[in-house]
Amino acid sequence: MDNTPPATPGQPTVIQVDGLAKHYRVFDKREGLLASIRGLFHRETRTVEALRGVDLTVNQGEFVALLGPNGAGKTTFLKLLSGIITPSAGTATVLGHVPWERADAFRRRFALVMGQKNQLWWDLPAAESFRLHREIYRIDPTRFARTRDELVEMLDVGGLVNRPVRDLSLGERMKLELVAALLHEPEVLFLDEPTIGLDVVAQHTIHRFLRHVRTERRVTVVLTTHYMKDVAALCERLVVITRGSILYDGSLEGIVDRFTSHKIVTLDLDETPAPGRIERFGFPCEIRGPRVTLRVDRERIADVLPEILRAEQVRDISVEDVPLEEIVANLFRGAAAGGTGGGR
Amino acid sequence: MGRYLGIFLTFARACLVRDMTFRANFLLECVTSLGWMSMNLAFYLLVFTFTAEIGRGTGWTREPFFAFVATGLIVNSIVQAFFMPSAEELTELVRTGGLDAVLVQPLDAQFLLSLHRVDYSSLANGLVGVGLLGWAVSRFAEPPGPVAWLLYPLLVLCGVAILYALIIMLAAATILLGRNQSLYDFWFYLTNFSRYPAEIYSGPWGGPIRALCTFVIPILLVVNVPARVIAQPFTAGSWGGVAAALAAAAAMLVVSRVVFQAALAKYRSASS
Repeated sequence: MDNTPPATPGQPTVIQVDGLAKHYRVFDKREGLLASIRGLFHRETRTVEALRGVDLTVNQGEFVALLGPNGAGKTTFLKLLSGIITPSAGTATVLGHVPWERADAFRRRFALVMGQKNQLWWDLPAAESFRLHREIYRIDPTRFARTRDELVEMLDVGGLVNRPVRDLSLGERMKLELVAALLHEPEVLFLDEPTIGLDVVAQHTIHRFLRHVRTERRVTVVLTTHYMKDVAALCERLVVITRGSILYDGSLEGIVDRFTSHKIVTLDLDETPAPGRIERFGFPCEIRGPRVTLRVDRERIADVLPEILRAEQVRDISVEDVPLEEIVANLFRGAAAGGTGGGR
Repeated sequence: MGRYLGIFLTFARACLVRDMTFRANFLLECVTSLGWMSMNLAFYLLVFTFTAEIGRGTGWTREPFFAFVATGLIVNSIVQAFFMPSAEELTELVRTGGLDAVLVQPLDAQFLLSLHRVDYSSLANGLVGVGLLGWAVSRFAEPPGPVAWLLYPLLVLCGVAILYALIIMLAAATILLGRNQSLYDFWFYLTNFSRYPAEIYSGPWGGPIRALCTFVIPILLVVNVPARVIAQPFTAGSWGGVAAALAAAAAMLVVSRVVFQAALAKYRSASS
């Protein structure tokens, strides 16, 4: 695990997790009628380790992304931090409270938004759910109206709050879910795949909104996602979880430095290069006419670039890091194979 | 307490808005509910064309028995209107992980899970029950005294509390098992025992059933005690039934609370 310090040193600790583990016993159902009947009398179970001794510290105002393949333990981790389930081992405090004690004083100070679950009243306009929220969180009516109007305006959903939720699109519903979640002005926001299934415009709006919320309201945000666009747009800190353990905890730049050994150089040449001519600079990933994409060792990049410019007729050149998606996919593959993953 | 009342009224208001949005469905539910109740009443009227009393010397002649039926309608309509819709939804909430959203709210989970839905159409039966009770009482040879009238609403509430506690314990089983459709069927079969006067459970088979449904699962106290107070002469011996109903309601509420909290602590949540 990377020991990169948190992105906001000096800020108070909001989330402190030590050795948090969650195990489930699950029923192994065998195929076939006979096996099903046998299962009535004798059940074979196995233990699934959803989370294996996770340690994490998150400071006030941080925006942390939890990344991991399906079944890695991200959502389990969020459910533990929000007190929905109790751990098998380990300790955690969020805003000084043990989450699974479910104290009202704690639950008033955070919010959880789940992209795959609807928390608003399905048959009623969101305005009714907002009203209920005001009662549940005991929000002062003046403050409630001010916060609601501000959030509604920011997400441009003024025309939607009085329409039944079932008549709204997924993107519109998610925006209203975010409004509902922030009405009581939580200090910590847990977001479980908030942009899942949304189009790019809705994703962009939600990114802009979350950046604003984080900056203006000093909310600490923990986000789980499968979209690297979410990570790149919102988070300075990335926590990669695979098989219930933290594989990487550090900055976005850090993951690139640590898990890649090369950069991607794209060249627009005057003409298609002759076979064998370009390979001396690096590994050719793609040659499409005069456009060439090379993988060049990071340590050689400073020498290779002037060499290319001297030897070739170059119209345009760009140097980029390996895409985050590729790095993370390699990490996941490496973890699945039992190693540490990565591109080195 | 005021806050919880405010939240309940918000739920009730939202449910009314929803019911009025689907007016045809609401009216259909009222008609279905009233139709089923009318068939039951017709059946009892038919029974009384063959006999003057349910059980010899029990006192459950036609009008007192209809007061009994009316009490059952009132108790059940309160349960069906305020608690059952939420309990029915719980299975789905547990199966889909919707319970997660409830557990993160700064509110008593049992309150939220048992009172967030109100089915107004079920109140129709209760209103008919009140009318039927009025009709039956007006035809009593000896009308109920002030003590009986004072105790009656309290004992109806005890009956509601016993049924509510039973629902909560079944809801706890839902949380532990993940799915328990058959346990709600069990609730339906069990509450069937409360629909008839306790006197019919006698003899070698009836005796044990009566003991089980009085002392273990006090379902026989739900309708029998308030109905007896209003429909039969109130004597010193009647206080025993009143005390039993009060004690059973209190005990059931406490036990159901403990069971429900224990189930919530073991909640596993569904996969995302």
